[in-house]
Amino acid sequence: MIHFHDVSKYYDNHTALRKITFSVEKGEMVFITGPSGSGKSTLLKLIYLAEKPDEGTISVAGWEIDKMKKSSVPLLRRGIGVVFQDFRLLNNRDVFENVALALRIRGVNDKELKVRVFDSLKIVNLRHKADSYPIALSGGEQQRVAIARAIVAEPSIILADEPTGNVDPDTSVGIIRTFKDINTKGSTILIATHNRELFRNTGKRVLKLDNGNFAGEEIA
Amino acid sequence: MAFPYAFRLAAQSLLHEKWINLLSILTIAAGLLFIAITVLSVYNVDVATKKLPEKFSMMLYLKDNLSREEIENIINIVGKKGAIETVKYISKDEALKELKAMLKDTVYVLDGLGENPLFDSIEVKLKNVAVSPETEKRLAVELREIKGVGEIEYGEQFLSSLYSVKVGMKTITILFVIIMSVGMIFVCYSTVKILFYRKNEEIETYKLLGATRRFITAPFIIEGAVIGFSGGLISLIGILLLYYTVILKHSLTIPLFKAIIFPINIALFLPLVGLLIGMTGSAIAIGRIKY
Repeated sequence: MIHFHDVSKYYDNHTALRKITFSVEKGEMVFITGPSGSGKSTLLKLIYLAEKPDEGTISVAGWEIDKMKKSSVPLLRRGIGVVFQDFRLLNNRDVFENVALALRIRGVNDKELKVRVFDSLKIVNLRHKADSYPIALSGGEQQRVAIARAIVAEPSIILADEPTGNVDPDTSVGIIRTFKDINTKGSTILIATHNRELFRNTGKRVLKLDNGNFAGEEIA
Repeated sequence: MAFPYAFRLAAQSLLHEKWINLLSILTIAAGLLFIAITVLSVYNVDVATKKLPEKFSMMLYLKDNLSREEIENIINIVGKKGAIETVKYISKDEALKELKAMLKDTVYVLDGLGENPLFDSIEVKLKNVAVSPETEKRLAVELREIKGVGEIEYGEQFLSSLYSVKVGMKTITILFVIIMSVGMIFVCYSTVKILFYRKNEEIETYKLLGATRRFITAPFIIEGAVIGFSGGLISLIGILLLYYTVILKHSLTIPLFKAIIFPINIALFLPLVGLLIGMTGSAIAIGRIKY
């Protein structure tokens, strides 16, 4: 589903990623871990094409990223649900509209959209906050709205960048459980986190990064 | 993208950014109103000058002592020219009679003349389409070659001046309309560009969620169109108010106003012109933005 081959990414004089090679199969749930600045976010950004690799090749869901036309980028992104580290919620839209946006972009009709948005909000336990604005929500609730938006279109790939960064341990467990449930339905999930407690005893594959280098992998 | 959603986004933005949008609408309205007044003025001048040819004629003064046959021969030749509508022979006695009628109380100025000093003449009226400085000049040369024809008078300078003024006015109007239109397109262009940059974060999120270029740009094009259309609508209301509350109302006291023609069918196009200006401005703005 996702293949990196000798991928490097540089920012001015700084190396964010160096010769990274790995694969994630369809339906897998994989954790990417490492300390802050190890390149976890950059790696996810390369997958949803917020960044382009300087070296190496990447293929995502059959798309060869270096050969892709600019006009095809939205098509690739529609197959990916992203939980951004800074959530990227629109403060001038309520929770319902924030989640619905992912479906509106895909041209889903209003009737179906309503059902799917409420289903997603139910999964993250925010059905009752549909009319609230992000500014009125706690950090954890905002994170769950971002998750609801990432899963609402049932994408084949879900990427989550520090999805439990702003929540208490109990909520973190709940969020990981949610991802596991989604994963059992067939979605491929990549979660970037520096919190080792999050994947302990999950039985999932963990890819380790250290200062932009691949530092091995293990089964949690 | 579902179009109703693009309209909803455009409506939200119009309300949210109401001051900048209102300013653009009023600027476009003022510009279109100026254009409408200018075009209306030129249209009226054009209509007024089009009526002049009906009163326009050429005078062919005949040489002295021509026989009846020679005069009839000249009338026949002149009448066969394509551009000529009517030919009327005026004998020198009739001309003197007309002159006396014109002079009325001051007819005594003719007392010392003795013999009739006037010439037999032919008054030629041209077809409306033929009244232009070039046709008149060409015709005058042709008529002057007819045996028995002396001087020809046709107000050459007046006609040339009239046509120069008309051409000048039309050119200035076209230039004015172009400059104003470019200005209004620039107003819309700048407004949409500002709005676009203000929503940079939002647009970035749309892109990351997989929005196409059309999904992102459609609300801005709609917004530009609404700004332009509203400006056009206000200018239409302005020109109607100007006509009905100023020109028509005061036409009894100011006779010149009575002669003003108001082509309402053309004025109704103002909102459409505004719409096109708005859409063009926003399309150029969107096209030039790298994202």
